[in-house]
Amino acid sequence: MKKIYLHPLPIRIWHWVNALSFLMLIFTGLQIRYRDMMRVMSFETSVDVHNIFGFVLIFNFFIWLLYYVISGKLKIYIPALSPRKFIEGCIRQAIYYGYGIFRGEPNPHHSTPDNKFNPMQQMAYLNIMAMFLPLQLLTGLMMWDIKGFSSWITLAGGIKIVDTVHVLIFLFFSSFLFVHIYLATLGHTATAHIKAMFTGFEEEDEHSH
Amino acid sequence: MFRFKGGQTVGKGTYWNLSNGEGIDMDGKRPLPGGGSVKYLRLPSGGMFVLGPFLGLLFVCLLPLMSLVIALTLLSRVALASDALSSEEAGKCLSCHSSEGMVKTFKNNENVSIHIAKKHFKDTVHGFLSCTDCHADVSLDSHPSAQYKSIRDFAASISRSCRNCHTDDQILAKPMHNQAVSRANAPPCSDCHGSHSIRKSSELKQNASNSQYCLSCHQKQFSVTINGEKVSLSVNEEVLRQSVHSNHDCTDCHSAFSKEAHPVEKFGSRRELSISISGACKGCHQDKHKQLEGSIHFSMLKEGNLKAPVCTDCHGFHNVGRKAILETVAGVPCKKCHENIFEDYKESVHGVAKMSGKNAAPVCSSCHFAHEVKPALISRSPGETCLGCHKKAVDIHSEWLPNAAIHLEAVACTACHVPNAGMRVYLNATDSASGLTASASKVKELLGAGHTALTGRDGIGDRQMWDIYQALTGKGAGMSIQTTLGLRDSGESHHLASKGKAVRQCDNCHNANSEFFKSVAMTVVDNNGREEFYAVKPQVLSSIFALLPLNQFYVMGGTRVKLLDFLGVFMVIAGASFPAAHIMIRILTRRLRSSSKHTGRH
Repeated sequence: MKKIYLHPLPIRIWHWVNALSFLMLIFTGLQIRYRDMMRVMSFETSVDVHNIFGFVLIFNFFIWLLYYVISGKLKIYIPALSPRKFIEGCIRQAIYYGYGIFRGEPNPHHSTPDNKFNPMQQMAYLNIMAMFLPLQLLTGLMMWDIKGFSSWITLAGGIKIVDTVHVLIFLFFSSFLFVHIYLATLGHTATAHIKAMFTGFEEEDEHSH
Repeated sequence: MFRFKGGQTVGKGTYWNLSNGEGIDMDGKRPLPGGGSVKYLRLPSGGMFVLGPFLGLLFVCLLPLMSLVIALTLLSRVALASDALSSEEAGKCLSCHSSEGMVKTFKNNENVSIHIAKKHFKDTVHGFLSCTDCHADVSLDSHPSAQYKSIRDFAASISRSCRNCHTDDQILAKPMHNQAVSRANAPPCSDCHGSHSIRKSSELKQNASNSQYCLSCHQKQFSVTINGEKVSLSVNEEVLRQSVHSNHDCTDCHSAFSKEAHPVEKFGSRRELSISISGACKGCHQDKHKQLEGSIHFSMLKEGNLKAPVCTDCHGFHNVGRKAILETVAGVPCKKCHENIFEDYKESVHGVAKMSGKNAAPVCSSCHFAHEVKPALISRSPGETCLGCHKKAVDIHSEWLPNAAIHLEAVACTACHVPNAGMRVYLNATDSASGLTASASKVKELLGAGHTALTGRDGIGDRQMWDIYQALTGKGAGMSIQTTLGLRDSGESHHLASKGKAVRQCDNCHNANSEFFKSVAMTVVDNNGREEFYAVKPQVLSSIFALLPLNQFYVMGGTRVKLLDFLGVFMVIAGASFPAAHIMIRILTRRLRSSSKHTGRH
């Protein structure tokens, strides 16, 4: 059994703060949006909690950005610059998830601190971290202070559009969460990746190489 | 001591009969000749001798002087004709009518004093006339009480005598007499000119002010009838004096009239007269009139609605009072027409405060303004009006209400401060340049043949809303749809409750089941700025087709787009089914892997 120090402490803290924030935001978001169907907490409380965790998430996003920019590790999110190489990598990974994994074939991607994500993960997380999450934070911010961001809202096409974007991204995150958690169980044991996110060390089955 | 009567027993002496000058010497106690009416003076002959020259002097000197005075007096009487009261006939009339307290009762039980005093004739121009010249139906021989029904009837009868001397031409030379001659129920002459002390109008003109001149007639009780309506032309001088216009002359407002001119004005109704006179106010109060021109009241007037209020309806005619009076509960003029609303107001937090003596509490004009009264726009939040007094409202709401400023912009204050009122979402067709609700005619013009969608039986649907949006926001149309939340019935906006009773539950609105979203209307205004509503199906609020038309309107938890709900369910199922399917396949292929592992190890 081999141990790789894959997740530095700041990233682990960031991840779990993110995880808690996402869960709280999804829950309070549902409570705000489906007030007529669920009444776990009052509207005021759900809005307040949603706002608090929204700001936690914004703060956390900048922690992430700061860490990756300063450490120079941002490149782990950047897919291979050669489209051919990138597409090949994606196909290889897709074949693994859709076929190889069932045959017990090894994961074609081997995570290292400098190359943490497989090409599909790179594509997904780059979209999430560079587009969906900032957009979600921004639309959330706009709705938090409609008057203050009124010119931005007008530019975006109105509060209804802003809300629709916010909801669409929320739906994407909610459904992605299932995939994310499931994929986290696909380590050499079901809890290997999850443990690693606490300890920082990813255990690898040496036989897989 | 010296005076005696006939028949009286007197002592010795010389007695002079004052009737015929005859002297009688009496010697002893004997009665004087003649009856009691004969008067005697006792004077000794010597005394007579002394008095004689004096009496002669009087006769010679004073008699001519007295004659001269009498002649001159008579001459002046002749010059002014004869003095009625000195005439034989008048003397006879006055022998009774000079008695104070004489009263005549007419058939309708009206009493009139028939006491005639000399002072009544002091300044009369009719001094040369005799009583029966005017009271033609009375003569010395025939003096039965004329059987008049009333004072009015009596005065009218006497007035006919005036026409014996004053010809129609003479009367009509004064325009103000026009109606007096032509109308059957014209006031009798005496209404203006008086009965016995009739003065020359020229005297009045010279000495009186304009107002005094007018009041010389108009302070008397008389009226005209316009189209069957009685209109009093009487003016109470006391009322005038107490008005804020006490320094004005009548002619300042009634500018067509003067001492010289009294034109005949024709009005179709009493109301038309009021409206016409209100036009005079503009002369001084131009600023107020300017404000009025933009008001709903003025628009109604322009439409020919005679019920529309004019200056005098609120301020009165001659009793124009101070502004402060109009701002009291008792003095608010609006209640004359808007009585129900005023009753609601009295029960509101504002009305209760006002009636409890808080003078600063608002009345109608505080919110609606006195002159620039706009049509009530229930679709628009009265926020600006409320914030005029409640300047800290945004700050106070911000203490607990997120996005307080936006709430106060989009939600009518009344929506929360009038508990239990019916709510509605208003989609206002708005002119982008002015920010005001667009006119019905402009909207219909832009919609062309599609304008029938506005008045469809079931209300405007989501696709129709999309078409309307396309038409209103198309190139050159310059419109947008602004959404507001307010009360369904404008009348209810006067039921403002105290702060403690205001709605403070977010759930009231932020809930798809909220009453708010069950009534939706599109709003335009007619040419006078009054709202017209077109029913909109409530489903429009949550339709994907309304994403752009209602892009400025979103109530969290209230108006979510239904399609996103379905999409959300689909995405979550899709997200969950990927792991589920993957796990399923992994279970199914378990043997494959175990054999592969086995192979790998060997």
